[in-house]
Amino acid sequence: MKAEFSRFGAPTLAALLLLSGLGLAILDVLPALPHLEATGGYDAEHLLLLYSTLPRMATALITGAALALSGTILQQVLRNPLASPTTLGVSAGANLALVSVMLAFPSLTGWGRDAIALSGSALAALAIFSISARHGFSPFSLILSGMIVGLWCGAAAAILVLMNDQYLSGIFIWGAGSLSQQNWAIAASLLPKVALLAALALLATRPLALSQLGDAGATSLGLPIKWTRGFTLAIAIALSALVTSAVGVIGFIGLVAPQIVRLAGARRILSQLIWSPVAGAGLLLLTDQAIKLLAPGDFVPTGAVTALLGGPILIALLPRLATASRTLPGVASPGPAIDNRAASFAILLAGIIALAIAAIFFGRTPDGAWAWLPAGSWDEILPLRLPRVAAAFGAGTVLGVTGLILQRLTGNEMASPEVLGVSAGATLGVAAAMFAFAAPSLTIQLAFAGGGALAVLTLIFLLSARSGFGPNRVLLAGIAFGAILDAGIGVVAASGDPRGLALIRWMAGSTYFVDNAVAASALLIALACLIAAFLASRWLALLQLGTETASELGLRILPARAVLFGLSAIMTAAATLVVGPLSFVGLMAPHLAHGLGLRRPAAQLLAAALIGAALLVIADWTGRMIAFPYQIPAGLISALVGAPMLLIVLRRRT
Amino acid sequence: MTGAPTITRAGDSGVVSLDYGLASTMLAVGSVPRAIAALRNWPEWVVEPAMPPGVVDIGTTSEINLEVLTSLRPSLILSTPFLAALDDKLARIAPVETFTVYAENGDALDRSYAETLRLGAMIGRRQEAEAFLAHADARFGQLRERARSLSAPPVAVINFIDQRHARIYGGPGLYGGAMRRIGLENAWKGEASYWGFQTIGLEQLAELDEETHLVVVSPLFPPDVLTRLSESPLWTSLPFVRRRISVVPGVLMFGMVQEALRFATLMVDVLETAAR
Repeated sequence: MKAEFSRFGAPTLAALLLLSGLGLAILDVLPALPHLEATGGYDAEHLLLLYSTLPRMATALITGAALALSGTILQQVLRNPLASPTTLGVSAGANLALVSVMLAFPSLTGWGRDAIALSGSALAALAIFSISARHGFSPFSLILSGMIVGLWCGAAAAILVLMNDQYLSGIFIWGAGSLSQQNWAIAASLLPKVALLAALALLATRPLALSQLGDAGATSLGLPIKWTRGFTLAIAIALSALVTSAVGVIGFIGLVAPQIVRLAGARRILSQLIWSPVAGAGLLLLTDQAIKLLAPGDFVPTGAVTALLGGPILIALLPRLATASRTLPGVASPGPAIDNRAASFAILLAGIIALAIAAIFFGRTPDGAWAWLPAGSWDEILPLRLPRVAAAFGAGTVLGVTGLILQRLTGNEMASPEVLGVSAGATLGVAAAMFAFAAPSLTIQLAFAGGGALAVLTLIFLLSARSGFGPNRVLLAGIAFGAILDAGIGVVAASGDPRGLALIRWMAGSTYFVDNAVAASALLIALACLIAAFLASRWLALLQLGTETASELGLRILPARAVLFGLSAIMTAAATLVVGPLSFVGLMAPHLAHGLGLRRPAAQLLAAALIGAALLVIADWTGRMIAFPYQIPAGLISALVGAPMLLIVLRRRT
Repeated sequence: MTGAPTITRAGDSGVVSLDYGLASTMLAVGSVPRAIAALRNWPEWVVEPAMPPGVVDIGTTSEINLEVLTSLRPSLILSTPFLAALDDKLARIAPVETFTVYAENGDALDRSYAETLRLGAMIGRRQEAEAFLAHADARFGQLRERARSLSAPPVAVINFIDQRHARIYGGPGLYGGAMRRIGLENAWKGEASYWGFQTIGLEQLAELDEETHLVVVSPLFPPDVLTRLSESPLWTSLPFVRRRISVVPGVLMFGMVQEALRFATLMVDVLETAAR
């Protein structure tokens, strides 16, 4: 019985999905069918059926199949059940490349477009692989770096749009993946490309199946395993890039379809390669038809909806990912002996104080000239600048500390406050405030942001309590929340609602709205965080030895993790309120501290705090100066400049 | 513009406007703002009237440069509800007056009339504001006559978002209001936000009345969108694309009376050209 099920389960389920999609589609076109034949005169129904409805269905089927195939290959080759174009950030990479090029050359089409999308995906993939190669491609580190790269690409694309708001909605529609069609051009150009890549993928079936035996088995059979893998990965990346180039980012189909087929019993690679594209095609068509049915007349981009639906599925799938707790590589080895040396801290501290003073007093006069602030203008200008610098300082400290705690706690160098999901919750709160009130005041926005952060925090706690706060689970759940939120904002922004724009601005993270009270609280919170983190630094040192050793040494793992996560979440919420959800400072600061040779928890903690503060102060100053009198949010500057820098730092470290 | 008082030099008023529509209304009543937000993009969005030289740029509305604003020592700051979060900070620099044109439950053009009078009174140009509105009424009346004598077809107003999507205008927004005002029938009967537009896939144009005259508002995006669409069978078989399509220069869609008037004039002009 069981064997029967596994043999027929996958085809049956895939066919079922496809048939229900087609069923809805047929119901949709049925009333218009008499218009299939041209009547000679103007017949709107005929035009819509022939050039919009049918091509849209065809495009949904082709893109759904292509994404599912891409996901199957990725999951197979990387031996990672959560791999997909979305979770590895390759779709987002393609989208970012397209957005940046389209701002300069809005008329780019055809092969040029595909090439740009391809290079974007390839770059994203390269970044992810080079980071996770250092972890021996562990499934968890691959997904985490993939989703971080995806998050960053999404943020960067949003920012480019923000700076060019005339083109706003067009680019958002790409980012959110609209399937709207007016002719057969997209379907017709996509089909042969996808078919060719699919044929190539089928050719690689045998080597792929052998690679399931593991590297040793396959190599002993005489396969150049590296090349086969590289080749099939390239096919998968090309598939997702082509889809992104044609219709934009369609989230999560590539993750969900292969999972469904495997759950239905498809074990052999060939049957997965055949049935998951069928399931993917059915799934996307079904979603698209359902949207049409449920929201007639409204403009709802399909890709954003699949992402909204896919996020919870990702959370549900998390337990399938083997996430053994691991320790940070290299932390046990003693670094250069400058640890805890007071002199290096004194220099760091002095440098940062000097920096803060410079950020306050050096700037531009109203006519744009560079100048030290003359004493005569102090009364007028200092109340405007001081809170911003103070808030950046405080938030940077908090983010640096939080990033370090999270990286130590999870043993993963890509962990950062962005991925906790708490900032996503805060953003959701602000979104709710914008829709509940016509013109929410700053206080209302802050209250809603705090509420949103708390809600997501509670959810994540509930979800991960069962796994004993397994750090990796917590992070992946958080990042899935982030993805859901992104999709939600995509829907709003693509509709052209000005509140979408306001939200994106909020996400860009500026110290602009900070007043004295907020700045003072930011500094106080930073101090409190620092003290709390120091008190907990013994736990961090113990946890770093691995859970078993730590509990042998008398640490109660569960409460320690809960406290550390709780602390991180509160600190993230506080920092998010000041500089928005996406500064990536928490990701960078611990690495820079590590680079300075400060590696023991307490020393690295203090250094990460100071460096985090410095990063945000510099970002804030740059944002105020670079396009004067126009201002660019600090969170944006630090994310855009800092994240690529981080990649370089990580690569240099062996 | 006719009937308006002579324009004073930049900044005589000491008034700063954070909104294009309010700034343009100041020009209409013969006053020049000391500074406006996002001056750099004015020629692209508002097109006409041109902002006189000497007006200071104080950055985007998302981050008004408070240091520059402070140094100008303005006498009054004109704002909108969308910038309410800034009120506290602005109030420390100068009195802030908020004008509501775009909001739920109301027509943008009607509100523009009321707010123009309030603005006029506030900056000591009540009479000029009344004169300007009277002049606008007269112009709208003439345009209405011209439109009636054309027995104009229903009109759909769009601008392109990309090759597959557009915004279509109507509802309580400024374009929709201006069309009602001069008696033009809007071919778009669907919903629109209080900003006066709805995002659509271009295929939805096929559902419009066959007799529709399609007006595309510049800027065209992407710039070659019309050439590219000429390869789309759906687009080219739309009856109004074959026979009744016009492209008009950019008009601020989120403006006030001045923009409504300019939009209405452009509409009647293209309809007359098409009728010939």
